[in-house]
Amino acid sequence: MIDIQGVTMMFGGVRSLDDLTVGLDGNIVGIVGPNGAGKTTLLNVISGFHTPVAGSVVIAGQNILTMTPYARARWGIRRTFQTEQVVDDISVRANIEVMVDSTRGGGPASDAVDRAIELVGLGAAANRPTRELNAFERRLVELGRAVAGSPRVIMLDEPAAGLSEHETLTLRATLAALPGATGAQLLLIDHDVELIAALCDTTAVLDFGRLIAYGPTNESLNAPAVKDAYLGVATDE
Amino acid sequence: MGGARTVVPAVVVMAVLGWLVPAVFGSFWLKTFTAAVIYALASLGVGLLYGRLGLVSLANFALRGVGAWVSLRLSLLENHLPIVVNILIGGVVAAVIGTLVGLPALRLRGLYLALVTLMGAGAFFVVINAIGFPEGGTGFSGREGTEALRNAPRPEFAQSDPAFFRFSLLVVGLGFLLVWALLQSKSGRAWAMIRRSEAVAFSAGVNVTLYKTFAFTLAGFLAGVAGGLFAANVGRPGTGDFGAAASILLFALTMSAGSYHLIGAVLAGVLARVLPALFSEWGIPADVANMVFGFLLMVSLTAAPEGAAGEVHRLWERITGKRPSGPDDAGSGGSIAGGAGAGGSSASVEAAS
Repeated sequence: MIDIQGVTMMFGGVRSLDDLTVGLDGNIVGIVGPNGAGKTTLLNVISGFHTPVAGSVVIAGQNILTMTPYARARWGIRRTFQTEQVVDDISVRANIEVMVDSTRGGGPASDAVDRAIELVGLGAAANRPTRELNAFERRLVELGRAVAGSPRVIMLDEPAAGLSEHETLTLRATLAALPGATGAQLLLIDHDVELIAALCDTTAVLDFGRLIAYGPTNESLNAPAVKDAYLGVATDE
Repeated sequence: MGGARTVVPAVVVMAVLGWLVPAVFGSFWLKTFTAAVIYALASLGVGLLYGRLGLVSLANFALRGVGAWVSLRLSLLENHLPIVVNILIGGVVAAVIGTLVGLPALRLRGLYLALVTLMGAGAFFVVINAIGFPEGGTGFSGREGTEALRNAPRPEFAQSDPAFFRFSLLVVGLGFLLVWALLQSKSGRAWAMIRRSEAVAFSAGVNVTLYKTFAFTLAGFLAGVAGGLFAANVGRPGTGDFGAAASILLFALTMSAGSYHLIGAVLAGVLARVLPALFSEWGIPADVANMVFGFLLMVSLTAAPEGAAGEVHRLWERITGKRPSGPDDAGSGGSIAGGAGAGGSSASVEAAS
C-alpha cells in the first residue's frame, strides 16, 4: 500500500501533481494517463528525484519523503526508467549486483543476484557483457536490478515501450510473477492499455496532475472522466 | 573477468621491463623511463576520474606537487622515517587535499568542475612559489639555515638508478593493481553507475557523494605517491615543474592516450616523458612535443574518443576475435562541455511523462 496524501509538485508555475491523494493498493497497480499527466513525475517523487512542495507518501508506515534517493532504493523503493539504463561495459551480473552491494554489508552476496537473474529469466546471459544484449534483454537487466535484494515497491516506467508483441507477452508473464516471488508491490506506468488491463489489479488515472479515476482496473479504465481525458470529448454528465 | 588472466601477464611484463630497461639503457634513458613510469601513476588517477566517472580534474599535477613536498620535507628530517613511509604519507596528504578539491564535484561537472580544479592547481603554484621546496634546512619549509643543499633521499635499497627504476615500477604497479581491483569490486560497479547517470546510480542505491569523493581521494593519493617518487627520482624538484599548464597537460595526455583503459595511463607516461626526450636526442625543439600532444588531443576528440589505448584495445580484440570493450555511450566519450550538459540533466532523467 502506497499512501499518497496531498502531494503537489510544482515546476515553476506548472502544477505537475496537484494535491494528489490516493492509496495505491493491490499487488500490481497501473498508472495511466495522457502525455504530461504527471505519471513519471509521481514516480520521480516516490523515488526521490523530485521534492514535492506539499504532501506525504507513506509506505509500510514510513514517510519516505524524508529519505535520500539512494536510501530509498536501499530501503526497497526500486524503479526502472523510460529509456533503459544499463551499463554496457560490465556484465549482466555486475549490473544487478550493484543493487545488492548497497543493501548488504559487502561481498558478492551471490544468492540474491542469482535469484534476481533467475526471476527475470536472464540465466543464460548472466556473465555476458551487457553490450552484447538486445534491447529486450537490456530491459530485463534493468528489471533485474530493480528486483534484486528485498524490494518493497518496484516502479516500472513504460517497460513495454518499443518491444515486439512476443517480447511484451514474455515481459507480461515475468511481471505477473514478481509480486508473488518478491513480496513487492508493482507500480506500472504504460500506454499499452491491454498490458495494464491484463496485469493490474487496480489502476489510477491521472490527467493534468490530478487523479481522475482510481479503482479496479476495468472500472477505472472505463470511467467516463477517463474517456473524456483521452478523447477530449465532453460526456453527457 | 578472469583476474589471473589480467594480472599475471601484467606482472610478467613488469618483471621483464624491470630487468630489460636497466640492462639496455644508460643513465639518461633510465631516468627518463623512471619519470614515465611515475607519470603513469598520476595519469592513472586522472583517467579513473574522467574515464570511469566522467569527472574532470585539472588539479592532479598540483597534487603530485603536494606529495613531492610532503615526502621531501619528511625525508630531510634528522632521523626520518623510512622513505617508503614518507612517500605514502605524501600520498595521504595529497589524498586529503584531493578530496577537498573534489568537493565541488558533488555539485559541478564538465567545464565548471574543470575550472574550479584548475583554480586549485593555480593556487598550489602560487603557494609553492612562495614557500619553495625543502632544501634540507629547518623550519616548516625546510629552507631556513640551509648550508649545503640536500637532495631528496632514495630508499636504502634503491639508491642506484636501476634499483630506483625497479622500485618505482613496483610501487606504480601496486597502484595499478589497487585501481584494477577496485574496478572489479563494489566501488567499480558504483562508479560505472555514476558514469551512466547519477539518477541511475541513486536508483541502484549508490551513495553518489561517497563514491565520487572516494574517487577524488584515490586519485589524490596516487598523484601524491607519484610526487614522492618524482622527488626521489630527480633529487631536487623545482617549483616550475608544477605550473597549472602541467596539470592541463596531464589531463590532455591522459585523454588522448585513453582514460578508460588502464593501459592509457602508461601511454600517457610514455608520451609525456619519453617523446620529449626522443625529440631532444634528435635535435628537435622540445616545444614540438607540445604541438604533437595538441594534435593527438584533437585526433582523440574527433576520431578516437577512447584515445590511443582504446584503438590498441580494439585492434587487439579484433585480432583475437573478441568484441571490443569500452565505455558505453553515456560515458567519457563526450566533450567536456557535453559532460556539463549530461551532468546537469542527469538528476532529472525523464522529468516529463
